[in-house]
This record gives sequence, C-alpha cells and structure tokens, in this order.
Amino acid sequence: MITLEGIDRAETIRYLGNSRVNMNEDMSALLDSCEKELLRHIEVKYLYKTVPAENSPLISGSDIRAHLKDCDKAVIMCATLGREVDRIIKIAQITDMSRAVVLDAMASSAIESVCARLEKQIARENTGRYLTWRFSPGYGDYPIELQSLYLSLLDAPRKIGLCANQSSMLIPTKSVTAIIGLSEKPVENRRRGCATCSLAGECKFRKAGKRCEF
Amino acid sequence: MNFKELLKGDFVILDGATGTMLQKSGLKLGELPESLNITRPEVVKNVHRMYIEAGTQIITTNTFGANGYKTKDSGYTVDELIKSAVKNAREASGGRALVALEIGPIGQLLEPAGSLSFDEAYDYFKEQIIAGADADLIFFETFTDLLELKAGVLAAKENSDKPISASMTYEKNGRTFAGVSVKSAVLTLEGLGVDALGVNCSLGPNELKPIVKELSELASVPVFVKPNAGLPDPNSNTYDVSPEEFAEAMSEITDYGCVKLVGGCCGTTPDYIAALKKVVDKKSFRMNDNPKCTSVCSATSAVDISEPRVIGERINPTGKKLFKEALINNDIDYILSQAISQVNAGADILDVNVGLPEIDEREMMVRVIKALQSVVDVPLQIDSTKPEVLEAALRIYNGKPIVNSVNGEEKSLSSVLPLVKKYGAAVVGLALDENGIPKTAEGRFEIAKRIVERAKEYGIDPKNVYIDCLTLTVSAEQAGCRETLKALRRVKEELGCKTCLGVSNISFGLPNRPLINHIFLTMALEEGLDLPIINPNDDDMMGAVRAFKVLSNIDKNSTDFISSYSGGEPKKPVISSSRLTLPEAVRAGLKSEAASVTESLLEKTDAMEIVNTMLIPALDRVGVDFEKNKIFLPQLIQSANTAQVCFDVIKRRLARDSSAPVSKGKIILATVKGDIHDIGKNIVKVLLDNYGYTVVDLGRDVPPELIVETAVKQNIRMIGLSALMTTTLGSMESTIKLVRAEPKLSGCKIAVGGAVLTADYAAKIGADFYCKDAKETVDAAKKVFG
Repeated sequence: MITLEGIDRAETIRYLGNSRVNMNEDMSALLDSCEKELLRHIEVKYLYKTVPAENSPLISGSDIRAHLKDCDKAVIMCATLGREVDRIIKIAQITDMSRAVVLDAMASSAIESVCARLEKQIARENTGRYLTWRFSPGYGDYPIELQSLYLSLLDAPRKIGLCANQSSMLIPTKSVTAIIGLSEKPVENRRRGCATCSLAGECKFRKAGKRCEF
Repeated sequence: MNFKELLKGDFVILDGATGTMLQKSGLKLGELPESLNITRPEVVKNVHRMYIEAGTQIITTNTFGANGYKTKDSGYTVDELIKSAVKNAREASGGRALVALEIGPIGQLLEPAGSLSFDEAYDYFKEQIIAGADADLIFFETFTDLLELKAGVLAAKENSDKPISASMTYEKNGRTFAGVSVKSAVLTLEGLGVDALGVNCSLGPNELKPIVKELSELASVPVFVKPNAGLPDPNSNTYDVSPEEFAEAMSEITDYGCVKLVGGCCGTTPDYIAALKKVVDKKSFRMNDNPKCTSVCSATSAVDISEPRVIGERINPTGKKLFKEALINNDIDYILSQAISQVNAGADILDVNVGLPEIDEREMMVRVIKALQSVVDVPLQIDSTKPEVLEAALRIYNGKPIVNSVNGEEKSLSSVLPLVKKYGAAVVGLALDENGIPKTAEGRFEIAKRIVERAKEYGIDPKNVYIDCLTLTVSAEQAGCRETLKALRRVKEELGCKTCLGVSNISFGLPNRPLINHIFLTMALEEGLDLPIINPNDDDMMGAVRAFKVLSNIDKNSTDFISSYSGGEPKKPVISSSRLTLPEAVRAGLKSEAASVTESLLEKTDAMEIVNTMLIPALDRVGVDFEKNKIFLPQLIQSANTAQVCFDVIKRRLARDSSAPVSKGKIILATVKGDIHDIGKNIVKVLLDNYGYTVVDLGRDVPPELIVETAVKQNIRMIGLSALMTTTLGSMESTIKLVRAEPKLSGCKIAVGGAVLTADYAAKIGADFYCKDAKETVDAAKKVFG
C-alpha cells in the first residue's frame, strides 16, 4: 500500500517552472493549503505485472529495444491519483486559477513520488535481478498509442478505473504507465537526460534555458 | 421458463468467472478473450457446461468486452463475436439454462471525465444489443460510471424488449471508481426500469457485505450479487477465499433479503457455484418491504426530501444581464461559478434554466448539465418549458433529477409525464392550468390532485411529484398569500406529496423586500414546505431555513446550525487604513481592496481611462516580473484575477449605465479535438480577460468544425489553439487548415501554444503566432487588435 504523507515542495516548484524565484509567505501559505487539499483527495491506486520482454506486443521501435537489451522479463506498471484530483483542479480553474496552477504542479509531483515508491517496491520483490529505469509510452520513439495495451494487460480500467482516451491520454490525468526491464546481468543504467530524451527539441525547460533535472 | 418466471420463484443461481477459466485455457498476451468464441468454441462451451452442471440457471455469454471500441483491432466484427457467443451458450445449455447477453463497460471514459460522448456510448451498446438478439436477457456488469450504465440500459430498452439486470462494481468505501454511491445507483436504475440490480466484482463476499446490506434496504427490485473469490494477490492474481468460505458468506448475504440472483465473479469456478447452490438450496428467498424513496440524486450524492431542502435559483437568465451575456458568449465557467457559490452557501439542489430566445436552448441545456455535473455533486432540477429540452437533458443527466415542470393543462401533462416516467425523474407540478392560477386554495388543490392522478396513470409514484402551489405578489393580491399556504397544507396532508415554492415573488413592489421574503418563507415552512426555491447566497433566507430546522427539532442538537454560525458573524473584509493605489492593489493580489479602489475611482474617472492607464500597465509590470523570474506563475495569476475583479466592477457599472461593454476584441480559445488537458488554455483565458478582451471559450476536445462555425458566426479576428500532446498536434494542424479554407475568415489570425509545440512547428502548420506562455498570447492579441 502506498500512502503519501506529504508532497515534495522542490519538485512542485520545479513543475511550476520558475525554480529561481524566492519563496515568500503568501506562496508558501498557498502551497500549504493546496497540499492539504490534495492529500485529502488523492486515492493512490496502482497495478503491476511481470511479463515476458521478448516477442511481446509491448515492443515497438528502437528505443524500447535498447532499453530492454539483455532483459528476459519486464514489469509493466500503472499508477493513478484518482479522479477526485482532476475534479478539484477543475473546480479551482473556475474559482481560483492561481490555486489550480499550484494544485496541478503539486499533483504531478505527487504521482512522480508514487511511481518512485512503486519502483522501489518492485525492486525489493526482484532482488537478485538488475532493473532498468521506468520507461513510458511516449518516450523516444516508443508509441504513445501503446497506453491502451498497457491498460488492458493490467486490466486497469476495471481494477483501478484508469483509462485512456482516443488520443492515448490517460484519464484520470494524474496517472502514469511504465515498463521496467528485469535482467540477470547488470544493465547499463543510463539516466534519463536531454541526450536520450525525445522531447529535447520542444521541452519547456530547455526553451527557458533550464533542465527538467530528471 | 423465462427470466420473469424465474424471478417469481426462489433464489436464482448464476455462473462464476468466465475470463479466469478462459485465461487458463491458454489465451495469448493481449489476445481478445472473445475471439475464442470463433477460434475455439468448444473451450467456451465447455466452461458453460461446467457451470450448468454445477447448478447455474442463467449462463452469461463470453462477450464482456465485445464492443466496437475494444474489438476494433481484433479482426472480427462485434456482430460475429456476439452471435457466435450466443450460439455457443445456447448449444452448451441445450435448454437447461437461460442465456444472458453479458455487456461490460466500453473501456473508455464518458464525458465529462473522458471524451466519449453519451451518444457514442449508446451506439456501442446498441450494436451489442442488436447482435445479441437471440439471448434471453441482458446482464450489464462491472460498471463504475452510472451514466455509461444509463446509456446501456436506454440502448437495451429502446432496441429490445428483453429483461435487464444492471450491476456496478464498488470499492471498500461503498463507492465505485467514479464515486457512484449505492443509493444513487438504486434511485437511478430503478427509475430507468431495470428488472434486477446489483453488485459484482472488485471485492470478496465478506468485504461486500455492508454494500449488499445497504442495497437490500433500498431496493424494490430483486438484487444481484456476484463477488470475487476474495481479494487478489497483486502479483500472482490468485484469490484467498475457498468455495466453502464463499458459500458461507453468501448464505449470510442472502439473509439480508432482496438478494435473489447469486453467483461469482473473478476467481470463482464451478466448485464455488456448486458450494453456493448447496447452501442456498436450504433457504428461501425473501423480498424486503422497503419504503419507496423520495430522494433525488446526482451520481455521487442523494438528497432525501425528508426535511426542508433548499433549491438554488440563481442559474436562470431572467432579469440578469450578466447571466444573459454569459449564455450568449458560451461562457460556461460563469455559470459554473454561480453553481459553486450556491453550493458553498448551502444549496441542496440547483435549478437549471438556460432559456433565452437568442440561443439554442436544447444544446445549451445539455452542455450546462454536463459541465455542472463535472464540478458540483448536488442533484439538479431541469427547468424548461420545452419538452424537447427536457428530454435531451434527461437523457444525459447522471442520476435522478427533478423536472421543472408540468402543470394541470392536458397538453403539458401528456407531453411531460411520459418523459418523467421513462427517465425515472421526479417532477414539479404547478397548480395552474389553461385557465390560469385559481384564486382559491380549493382551486389549486383540485389541479394538484389532477396532476397527481394523471402521474399515477403513467406509473409515477405520488412521492415523485412535488406540488408548487404558486406564490403571488402580496402587494397586488393581499389575500393570495393565505390561499397559497392553505393549498400547500392540504396538498401535503391529503395527497401525500412533497411541496415546493418559489418565494421571492411575494414581496414585489414593497419596500424592505428581504424582510417580507424571509417571514413568508418561515410561514411556508411551518405549513409544510419541503423545497423552497431561493437564492442561497442570501444569508437571511438561508438563516430562516436553518433556524426553522432547529426550532422544529429537525437539526438534532443544532449541529448544522452551530457549524454554520459558530464563527460568529461572517467577518467583513478589513480595509487597511493606508489606502493602496489601484496598481499596487493589483500587484499585491488584494481583491477586495482593488474592488473598493475601483469603485471610488469610477466616481470621477472614465472607465476606459482606468482600464488603459492603471489596470493594463499594472498587469504589464507583473508580467515583466514573471518573465524575469521574480514571481511565480500563481502570483501572476493572482494579480490577473485581482484585475478581473476590477473589470467586473467596471462592467457592472457600465451595464447599469447601459453603455457599451468594455471589450478590446473577441478571441476564440479552444483546446483542440482529442485533447483534454486544458489548464494552459484556461490560464491564457484569465490573462486575456483581464486585459479587457472578450474570450469565447469553446472548452477542450473541440472539433475543428465548431471553431470555424463559431468564428464565422461571431465575426472573430483571432483564434487561440492549445494542444498538450504530440498525438493532438495533428488535430491542431487540421483545425488551422479548416480555418484557412473558410473565405469568411481570411482576416482571422491564429495563435497556438502548448507543451510540445515549438516556434518552428507552429510556423510549419500555418499558425500566425507561436506563444510560449499566456503573457505572449496577450502580446499577440495586442498585435492583432492594436
């Protein structure tokens, strides 16, 4: 069971896009109250499953092949903060847009923490094996259209209410699907960085002369 | 034996999991389980046979996911998959068991959470129902969205005459993933006329007990229960309850009453069904005599009309200039903000009226109801004089609404009551007819009686009819007030109906109207008024209802009253002694301060001068600070919102003086087709609004045709498009193409923005401006409009 007790502030501010601004009292109070509201509405739900990494419909394009090099198996996972989070962000967009922006950034930070913890849990259950980092549909040349395959393999719509729309966007929106390769030998654990990121040309951080620090 | 006869007898044994069994027979990763109906029919038939031999009386076809969406890449048509499934089931049964056409959720979320429309969902279900014409009945199972299930039930009712059982999947908290409560499901599904309703999947029989208990205390049709074989282990996918434990827990569940159809879901096998049959064979079924509910509901929350409940009246353009303007400009957010403030003030139900000659009322009503149901969870009262508007709204309403209204005239009775019955709503009955409003209590009572009797003829319970005895203006007809109250009491006592009443008309033409209004409200409550239709933002009116509930011993221990007022008098905003200038107030994001400064400036300064020399420059300076990383985005928005408050003050003043509204130009904003992430677009909207532009916000997931149509109709010179994902950039491009192809829009400029967009790409797809953030969109607007 993964329960969030708090939400990473630094990460939230990074998502807000101006990490060099000095924090003041008003902003800090706004962050506090958004955190409280989110923690009241977040319902973490996740699923994962070990699948063969070879000859799988999950393999498409060269990036995922490189990612799963030397892996005979992989864990596919999905996680969501639930629908209420979408609803409170939607309400805030009507009543108080500045709050909506903070809630949105903070929820992105929260789902990232959930995935990080789930990744650790998966690592614990696979001791003795080497794990790659999380790779998601939409990274590199890995087709975003695979979202629906992930969801159906994990039975996610039925088990945790996680769906994708026709454009492969996950709903609830604060959700993630990913694959982690399992190998008998050490994997080349390339960090995600601008060099391997397909968004490098269009990323809002890079446009502003910053990095997403992934 | 058919289903209806089966229901007259004792317990009915259903089957267990099909998917689990087929999985074991070697389904490949990602292969559609329904394809086995065609590729390996013997495997499927064998599963059916095993269940029949274990005692199953109704087998379900292997068609859970056989809908047009899930099967689109399977190489088979829905018709092929379902026809073969029904045939397999028939052959396996050989007359020993009935065959139920199994229908599961489509696998895509409906609007407003997702992007599948109600009509698209309906069409998917219709296709399945027509293909399954040879089945004996229809089982809808494992639904989490009540509106999706409603689309299914309507598709079944309108395209077949088979009995329907509808079941949902609940979590431990007693709600589905979509937040649907047991009570909302019962109210809505019984209203739609299902033959059985229930629960399946997600939990084991022990965890489902409280949920089934609640169902058994609410339902007036037989209840259907198919639990999992306990809880699954997330990794191995095995379940933790044995057949004997399962049967024992189910035996306890059948003791609750109402539970008639029993079987199993994930993880259960013929062994579970055999064990189950053994236990229930020793017992006999009992239906509870549950009182008929007088509640209405949204999908998530039910309101019981067992005590006075406030209906908020503010969503109505009558006499409201800003509201009319919002309707004409498609400003749904304005309507939503009216809804949220009424709910925050304590409204239990909201009346929704969007009738205006300038707009398509039917289309607007549907849009507004969808939008409202995505942000507020109170039930709604659909208010229109047109049956076609009522029907369109009733179809897509998620829950059990109130229809406002029917009256004693035959034309009204025969057009509105069938809709109320078909969609399972409650209805307001106005005590008037073709001859107008009777002067006497006697006359109004007679009409009320006629309405209730006609409703009964259509199969509508009097408990779902709320009579409005009509408030007349006391300054015009002083004796009328007593007649209204007399009629109200008689309706309550003699017809057993609930009553509703619009209140504020009473004081028209008198001074100190609030005093008359709230005394009249108190008198009406004492006579038995259940549903006052009032402005919940009026503290005196809400106070009268709250105080009445304390004094009538309804609000036990004054709990609600104390929690409403324990903070003492509502605090008035503190105006600091050192008065800020308008630009300072905007910069600091002090809304009430900025509003009062604007008020006083308006006494001696021209409105446009305030806008151009103070508000806009102040916003510009905040924008520069944002660009230089001196402030956070939320702070920029706070300042923008403060400027918005100032604009509202100015707009109200201009509306009062009937001058032309301040607008520097009209801009369409839309998140393109397929894209549902709209926060970026909404930030842009706030900023443009505050710079004095009029924004026509078409929302998210907007088809290109609607953008072009609106732009032509409203003579638009600038369109802003947003897309978040690479997958939706294509629809941005096709939108731009369509705009460019329309000769009437040759002068129209297009600005684009969104996370994955670049200046190069924007130029490539033919946009005039690439805006990296909201601030740049304002700069683009300045270039377009000068």
